[in-house]
Amino acid sequence: MDKPDKLAQVEQDVLAAMKRPGIGYLAALGCSATLFLTLLGLWGYQMTTGMGVSGLMNPVGWGVYITNFVFWVGIAHSGTLISAVLFLFRARFRSSFNRPAEAMTVFALLVAGLFPLIHLGRTWKFYYLFPYPTQRMLWVNFRSPLIWDVFAVSTYLTVSVVFFYVGLIPDFAIARRYKEGLAKRIYGVLSLGWTGTRRQWKNYNQLYLFLAAFATPLVASVHSVVSWDFAMSIIPGWHTTIFAPYFVAGAIFSGTAMVITLVVPMRKILGLDRYITDDHFESIAKILLFTSLIVSYSYVVEFGLAAYSGNPFEMEQFRYRALGDYTVMFWIMVVCNSLIPLTLFVRGLRRNVKYLFVLSLFVNVGMWVERFVIIVSSLARDFDPYAWGTYSPSFVEVGITLGSFGLFFTAYLVFLKTLPVLSITEIKEHL
Amino acid sequence: MERRMIFQDREEFLAALRNLAREGVPQERIQVETPFHVHEVDEILPPKPAKVKNFALVGAASGTVTGFAFTILTSLSWPLIVGGKPIISLPPFVIIAFALTILFGALSTFFGFLFLARLPSVSGFVPKEEFGNAFVITVEPGETE
Repeated sequence: MDKPDKLAQVEQDVLAAMKRPGIGYLAALGCSATLFLTLLGLWGYQMTTGMGVSGLMNPVGWGVYITNFVFWVGIAHSGTLISAVLFLFRARFRSSFNRPAEAMTVFALLVAGLFPLIHLGRTWKFYYLFPYPTQRMLWVNFRSPLIWDVFAVSTYLTVSVVFFYVGLIPDFAIARRYKEGLAKRIYGVLSLGWTGTRRQWKNYNQLYLFLAAFATPLVASVHSVVSWDFAMSIIPGWHTTIFAPYFVAGAIFSGTAMVITLVVPMRKILGLDRYITDDHFESIAKILLFTSLIVSYSYVVEFGLAAYSGNPFEMEQFRYRALGDYTVMFWIMVVCNSLIPLTLFVRGLRRNVKYLFVLSLFVNVGMWVERFVIIVSSLARDFDPYAWGTYSPSFVEVGITLGSFGLFFTAYLVFLKTLPVLSITEIKEHL
Repeated sequence: MERRMIFQDREEFLAALRNLAREGVPQERIQVETPFHVHEVDEILPPKPAKVKNFALVGAASGTVTGFAFTILTSLSWPLIVGGKPIISLPPFVIIAFALTILFGALSTFFGFLFLARLPSVSGFVPKEEFGNAFVITVEPGETE
């Protein structure tokens, strides 16, 4: 095939995803939208009835809502890793994944942002989160990790949206060419009138480089700040120095698994095998394996730190974590996050896309459970035996958790039909 | 008169561009449109250093200053001791300043890009003619022509 034909072929292959949706797509969209509506319904029920409808009680005041917050912020991280860090390292395989991964980052952050609001109970007081003075001119306490979180997560969301959008600008100009009527005008406006002149490309390349450089430290900083929500307290099991790197590795691990979960079916349904090859999946699987090893190492170090701490509360906490009320959750976490990913040392399994897909589902479960174990087991058993207690989520919390997946997949499915699913311009450049 | 050359092939396009440069046509008169960034174009017509980096630097620096100023000044405006810590507790303020450095830096770079690339361009929303995957050179008329 001639080069010009190849270029046109890339455009058609990628934009083919935008054609009229089939019955399977509509069914998937219907299911996820229903789950999301369930979330809204249950959230409304919780707001009108009160927080009593959740399972949150003394001493466990943080339950699956905070678990979900940490989980979804973590999912976002690998999108930034793939789009920004791998860009700076000039890893070519990134251009097959970066668009879906960036979309995943934005949607996961939107979902994550809901959970502090849901957890508030009185959601209508959400503006208390923002840094503004009371009527007596007392400002917020900047020493509180919760206010750091507001800055970290809102910065992360803003930068991710800008980065996602900037990557789309030249592709919007391509989509504009294939559309007619109103759609052409909409894509035209979204493309900002991009025509690919020398001046545009020169400044665009600089912009992309700088945005990647700005986004890269966020990969490490945002989940560190989230981890300090825990580590700055004195609760046994939370108050440990390893939390920041441990959370960051976990975030990239879970996010990479989610990328695989999303991209494997996408590649199959949209027939993008030519652009997302088994080699690319193998590279992603290596990131998964590497981060799994860091996470497993962190599990061991946590126990080591407790064992040598000389602190009976810390030691009891880790005994309780492995053998106490949440022992089943703990061992699910170990099996899903530490043991199953070890199979990726086998090259044949790294290149087996079906296997990777199934494995990614286990990792998603394992990483959600990890956050649950960290949050709940520490609160359930702190210093004073009179204050011990267990927690299990109510149907409202379970429904809202499932609904958050509904919102995430609804957003992702809408993305598949409205935006170019791969970075057409980058693929062309590398042809 | 304006002269326009359209190429389907990248190499032919680069050869034509090299010829123009050799003929001594001033850079300002040569307009180029490409479907993706072609690095050789920058070698043939060396561009002036891009100014986007200035926006990145100024944005990031103003973010750092804002972050520290905001946290320190608001803490001083009602000096309330919390948890026995100093009124100006720099370690936590670094986190706010860090976040704002990135936020302001990224936004300023983006808006700087829009300004420097002359975007959004209303006439480009739905351009009169589009060249698809072709490489286009437009030579604007000189004063002598």
